[in-house]
Amino acid sequence: MLRYITQRLIESAIVLLIMSFLIYGLIGLMPGDPIDLMITADPKLTPEDAARLKALYGLDRPIAERYLNWLSAAFTGDLGYSRIHARPVLEVLRPALGNTVLLMGLSFALALAIALPAGVIAALKPQSALDNTINMVAFAGISVPPFWLAILLIILFAVVLGWLPAGGMGDAGWWSRASHLVLPVAALTLVTVGGIIRFVRAATIEALRQDYVRTARAKGLSRRQVIVGHVLRNAMIPVVTILALNFGALFSGALITETMFGWLGMGKAIYDAIMGNDFNLALIGLLLATLTTLLANLLADLTYAWLDPRISYR
Amino acid sequence: MRTLFLALLSLGLAVWTPQPAEAGGAGELKIGITQFPSTMNPNIDSMLAKSYVLAMTRRPVTAYDHDWQLTCMLCTELPTIENGLAVPEKTPDGGQGIAVTYSLHPRATWGDGRPVTTDDVIFTWEVGRHPQSGVASNEVYRRILSIDRIDDKRFTMHVDRITYTYPASGALDLLPAHIERPIFESDPAQYRNRTTFDAEPTNPGLYFGPYRIDEFVSGSHIALVPNPTWYGGEPAFDRIVVRVIENTAALEANLLSGAIDMISGDLGLTVDQALAFEKRHGKQFNIVYKPGLIYEHIDLNLDNPVLKDIRVRRALIHAIDREALSQQLFEGRQPPAHASVSPLDWVYSDDIRKYPYDPAEAARLLDAAGWNVLRQKIRHNTKGDRLTLELGTTAGNRTRELVEQVLQSMWRQVGIDVRIKNEPARVFFGETVTKRKFKAMAMFAWLSSPENVPRTTLYSDMIPTEANNWSGQNNTGYRNPEMDRLIDAIEIELDRDARKLLWQRLQKLYTEDLPVIPLYWRANAYVLPKWLDGLRPTGHQFTTTHWIEEWRRVDR
Amino acid sequence: MSGSEPYQLAADAGQAAGPPRSIRAILWRRFLQHHLALGSLVVLGVLVSVSLAAPLVEWALGLDANKVNLLGRFLAPSASHWLGTDELGRDLLLRLLYGGRVSLLVGIAAALCAALIGTLLGLLAGYHGGWLDAFVMRFADGIIALPLLPLLIVLAAVDLNKLGLPETLAGSENISLYRIVLLIALVGWTTVARLVRGATLSMRTREFVRAAEGLGAGHLRIMLVHILPNVVSPIIVATTLSVGNIILLESVLSFLGLGIQPPTASWGNMLTGAQELIWSAPALAVWPGLLIFVTVIAFNFLGDGLQDALDPKAVQG
Repeated sequence: MLRYITQRLIESAIVLLIMSFLIYGLIGLMPGDPIDLMITADPKLTPEDAARLKALYGLDRPIAERYLNWLSAAFTGDLGYSRIHARPVLEVLRPALGNTVLLMGLSFALALAIALPAGVIAALKPQSALDNTINMVAFAGISVPPFWLAILLIILFAVVLGWLPAGGMGDAGWWSRASHLVLPVAALTLVTVGGIIRFVRAATIEALRQDYVRTARAKGLSRRQVIVGHVLRNAMIPVVTILALNFGALFSGALITETMFGWLGMGKAIYDAIMGNDFNLALIGLLLATLTTLLANLLADLTYAWLDPRISYR
Repeated sequence: MRTLFLALLSLGLAVWTPQPAEAGGAGELKIGITQFPSTMNPNIDSMLAKSYVLAMTRRPVTAYDHDWQLTCMLCTELPTIENGLAVPEKTPDGGQGIAVTYSLHPRATWGDGRPVTTDDVIFTWEVGRHPQSGVASNEVYRRILSIDRIDDKRFTMHVDRITYTYPASGALDLLPAHIERPIFESDPAQYRNRTTFDAEPTNPGLYFGPYRIDEFVSGSHIALVPNPTWYGGEPAFDRIVVRVIENTAALEANLLSGAIDMISGDLGLTVDQALAFEKRHGKQFNIVYKPGLIYEHIDLNLDNPVLKDIRVRRALIHAIDREALSQQLFEGRQPPAHASVSPLDWVYSDDIRKYPYDPAEAARLLDAAGWNVLRQKIRHNTKGDRLTLELGTTAGNRTRELVEQVLQSMWRQVGIDVRIKNEPARVFFGETVTKRKFKAMAMFAWLSSPENVPRTTLYSDMIPTEANNWSGQNNTGYRNPEMDRLIDAIEIELDRDARKLLWQRLQKLYTEDLPVIPLYWRANAYVLPKWLDGLRPTGHQFTTTHWIEEWRRVDR
Repeated sequence: MSGSEPYQLAADAGQAAGPPRSIRAILWRRFLQHHLALGSLVVLGVLVSVSLAAPLVEWALGLDANKVNLLGRFLAPSASHWLGTDELGRDLLLRLLYGGRVSLLVGIAAALCAALIGTLLGLLAGYHGGWLDAFVMRFADGIIALPLLPLLIVLAAVDLNKLGLPETLAGSENISLYRIVLLIALVGWTTVARLVRGATLSMRTREFVRAAEGLGAGHLRIMLVHILPNVVSPIIVATTLSVGNIILLESVLSFLGLGIQPPTASWGNMLTGAQELIWSAPALAVWPGLLIFVTVIAFNFLGDGLQDALDPKAVQG
């Protein structure tokens, strides 16, 4: 078990290293550099200015050399400065990460709290009116363009009804913060909950068919006991998989929600960094997102072992 | 028990007692803008969002006023040759230079009580010209050869050339030497990362304007409160919150829900958005449109063999109905442009070649240029080449995308096949335009200042090339010795009347040669609450917030 | 992984139970019983046909879909413009039809390309196993974590003329469409690859595969003839479901300014363009939004119905 975890962690570290090179290369391949952008913004920039600035930002060196410089600095803990925020990268990312975890965590928990019972209820009576209704709602949720949903929510709750703020982070107080969270969490939950319901339902139906469920029923266990004791446990396995996959996807999904509601999270920070040619910030942000996905996958695999004793890792 | 109750009661009363109104007393003003400033240091780069906020907290030495005339903001009198504060002189290497003397406002004081002095001027100049400071444009600092300190508030600058802009030579944004000097001197190359403006933007010592920054939440909002050391008129508002909402649909929603009071015109809605907004909510707000110095145009790549032909360029412009475009899309709020100089600028000349909408003339010119074979309604030349041109702009800019499609449709009417190829702004500006990679036409805007000499956009040595690090903005590749001569002559002509004549010739030549297709003058749209008074749009790069102390709340 | 279980049994059923035609008949009957899926199929059929018929409609109405008319902006529905006109005076119905062509084309083409790549890699990985399997699967992990944005921006700037593409293709206004299809296929193959690999992995140990190996069949033949037909159902289901997702993704990319570029219409860029007109001309936003919603949900129902129909245990039971 320990050996397995160690091996996976080493693998993840290698993937991360390769990704850092790939992402660095990709950003390097992107057309134009920060100084080129400055030239269009500032007509007074002379050729000497351009050359001086490129040297100052290290942009006159070949990409491989820049990558190695960055890597050796990164290993000593110096992740550099964000160009567009004019602050150390970690100082920019720390609050963004906190905000995203708050937003994602809440909506994730909410989605699970809705999807687990809804999916199981739907699975217990397939093709019933209840099942069909839950199905319809789940499909509707995953079929709506996310930015469209956000606009509709803003129009309804912020403009027409005036109950909630239309966007932004709110002030320091928890009440203000909470009221600003309602709409983005709702939007994010609505677009994720459908997928999870579908998976829980499918997994539960699958589990209900297994022989041991029939056996357990035959042994005279009550329906409730069987569902809680056997079905749910087995149904959780594919659910965990999809959750782990969703974890990484939530970063890109959060970009739309974060942009629409002005929530300062990771998705938006990374997007702005890429669009604003902020090398350091984009790189670290993307690597962090990669790391989260890799770790979530590892966690999912470990959860299988815990949920299903038949699976073992050597 | 009773005492506790009384104590609670008095506590409650203390909380509920109305606070005495402070100086100003107009309450809070919440402004919505669409962009968050990156660095707050005034000199490292230029960004509209930053100057919008900073203009409330500090002022440049000189600026252009509402009538587009140069005026003193931090100084007491503009130096001119007539009043003796500007004296032409020889530079050390024998060229013609000028010495200009300024006095800083006697009561100008940083928020921490330290006076704004000549030391700050000298420090700002040292940072600006230091090769490693990270200040993007050195030009304005490099032109200053030396600064003589007369006393704490007076100094003389020796400038290396004599141009008509000499009274603005000292147009610096001062840095507080008493705070920034140690940081700069410990490591100039790291100054741009360590400046107090970013490390501690709420430090009162950084500001001397009517307001100072009280709260700074990166990416979200900036709150400002009155600065007691301000030397000018008393500002009315007790607190100003500048909230950043990038999505304009969300910006409108915030305005309607009362989360913001107004949308800044300098950085807010586009004119078509404002027009749509006015139709629905015009009664609740004052909506003010001000056309300005934002020149929307199409750069033509003059190295393109098709566009080399002046007849094709003239046909292109005759074929489009800019008047209808302006009337129908913008209800006339963004007037058509005829040349690169705004009609609001005093050097504007009407004696230019104008190109009215005339499809017949366009067809005649194209026929003459050899594009006279029509196949599937598209013109070809006798060799069989198709008249196809590529037009690009910034993807996601809705107004430009609409205009682009209108133009495409109009050009098709005369048989010109225009292909649209848009790119994200960072690609379009970072690569396609700066490196002259656009094949035929690139649509974007120039933002300029009043009486701005178009040296960077029209002078022949300003064509971006690999050799000059892609700087210069003559993206069309335009070269005409006559234009070069005119630009040189305008810069050093100190006599206004003589200069105006040169400007006339420049505009005439520009419209004769037609290196770009002028489209329209972009307007700023201000959405203001009915109770706000005193906000006067400028139409140039000095934002309305340079006069924020004039903004008032009036009840009507 | 238990997700591959049903398909493995599907293979058993296919091998064991009688002539395949009766199975197909059962499957078809089961599918017909799935009313939602059937309805979706009809809806999609109608959408695809009217989109394909766009030039015909254009001709019949005597209109030009790209003709800008500045004097006829935001017209209400009328006899000549059934759904009215858009912000540039173009016929909304025609724009929607042409937009539908693009959106559906992007969705279907990208899903098919992704399925093709995924099937190939999944087969190879599952069949070969060992280092190849590990490599493909870690590669897939990397792709899932790969940022779409910089990729798109890079691709948006690649000069296609320099890649040797002919001017007619590189200069075409549809180039943003091809780019998006290619890009989505390049990042979207992982789901199918995982499914196919899982199924192949378990299939390898089946007797009939072993037997074929014993009889000296080549690897390629075993993969294509013995294994592929038995993993087809999960591929079909996954591909159907992904069409809807890709149409959604296209609208999101349009929202970010990285999608299909004007004047080519797609439902995504029409919706994005209309979002600020939501108050003054709600129809411009309602129609493309509704069409995206209906199409995506129909593809999802269809996939769902297919999944149920192809589910072997239901056939047995």
